[in-house]
Amino acid sequence: MFLKFLNGMNFIARCKKYGLGLWQCPNFLFLLMGLITVAAMVGTFFVSQRFASEGVTIMSVTLVVAFIMTLGSFVIRGVEKVAEANILKTEFISIISHQLCSPLAAIKWNMEVIESERDPERVLSDKQRTFLTNIKKSNEQMLKMVTDLLEVARVDQGKAIFEKKKLDLGDIVEESVADLRIAAAEKNIEIVLKIEPVSKKVCVDERKMRVVIDNLIGNAIKYSNEGAKVEVGLKEEGKKIIFSVQDWGVGIPRYQHSKIFEKFFRSKNESRYRTEGVGIGLYLAREIVKYFGGDVWFESEAGKGSTFYFSLPVA
Amino acid sequence: MDNQKNKKIIIIEDDRSLQNALVEVLEQEGFETVSAYDGEEGLAKTVAEKPDLVLLDIILPKKDGYEVLAEIKKGECKNIPVLILTNLEEIDNVQRALDLGATTFMIKSDFSLKDVVEKIKENVG
Repeated sequence: MFLKFLNGMNFIARCKKYGLGLWQCPNFLFLLMGLITVAAMVGTFFVSQRFASEGVTIMSVTLVVAFIMTLGSFVIRGVEKVAEANILKTEFISIISHQLCSPLAAIKWNMEVIESERDPERVLSDKQRTFLTNIKKSNEQMLKMVTDLLEVARVDQGKAIFEKKKLDLGDIVEESVADLRIAAAEKNIEIVLKIEPVSKKVCVDERKMRVVIDNLIGNAIKYSNEGAKVEVGLKEEGKKIIFSVQDWGVGIPRYQHSKIFEKFFRSKNESRYRTEGVGIGLYLAREIVKYFGGDVWFESEAGKGSTFYFSLPVA
Repeated sequence: MDNQKNKKIIIIEDDRSLQNALVEVLEQEGFETVSAYDGEEGLAKTVAEKPDLVLLDIILPKKDGYEVLAEIKKGECKNIPVLILTNLEEIDNVQRALDLGATTFMIKSDFSLKDVVEKIKENVG
């Protein structure tokens, strides 16, 4: 406890961590302000006792206040610098992602042209086709990462576009599962669908919900062991539609439960270096579901697996 | 389904590899294509060629896509459908293009070439 307190007081280390100079660092400036305020109060007390002249007392109080206000302006500048850095970071991500999007799209389209060749003399051999498929897959991975990053930047800046249409969530889930079966098959994972007939629709943006569902099922596949099973469910409960995806993979240790929806959080579990990703899928999923009035939650135990849920209000 | 025969499409796109891919696929589908690599060239060719559809990027040299779109919609070519093809997906970009009279808005990285061709077929005049 005491150590933790001392650690908190180690403002030099903290300022260093945030890349701020001492005079821009709120931690240091607040401490300094506190010390000066105390010194000023004690000083004013002695001055007023010794000189007992109102004029001198008022003068000294004014001087101290002026000094504290100057210091306050340093604090504000420090906070502004942090806020600015945050904006810059978001803009940086969005600029880089935009710049990456064009060449990635160009690769994708040019590969499509090669694939669509109809002239039998120039058509690809099976071997070439296999390698082309490999390139395509890597490209899709990059594109997905970049578009997710862009989406995060957009959500953070309030610039994301959300359409609202009455849709059958079951259809979106089935489409997603159909696309993800290839990735699952590579790890010999079986995706079991348990979709109860849901009569009611939800009011969502199909593309955004695909991001949510792809990310949740994708995670289940990613964190499952070879040959395991992933169960995807959908049911109606009261005025809500509830989606779930269960895996029997590595699971999430309890002490990390509160952090997994954080942006850029990569669980420090045992497969951290065995899986890819940048750690924004869950953050994005929750932001999107929240936008449509729903919620995302999970149950998980390290070594036993996880179940992720989201609910959406019926339209 | 042969309504695209002899239909002329102008592609205003500065990225040559995207331009090449679009030309190849659209010509395979029987469209006639005209390429422009900057905003000014695109506008001049649109006025001169009177295409059946304009495929327009937003970030372009000399004149950006919004300027080109605004000028197309002001002049005698205002009834030609303009499809925006970009990577700018922020809401203000989409809204601005639609307000200026764009027919539809497509995000390059989200669409396959096949999707783009489908959209063109849907909207070609």
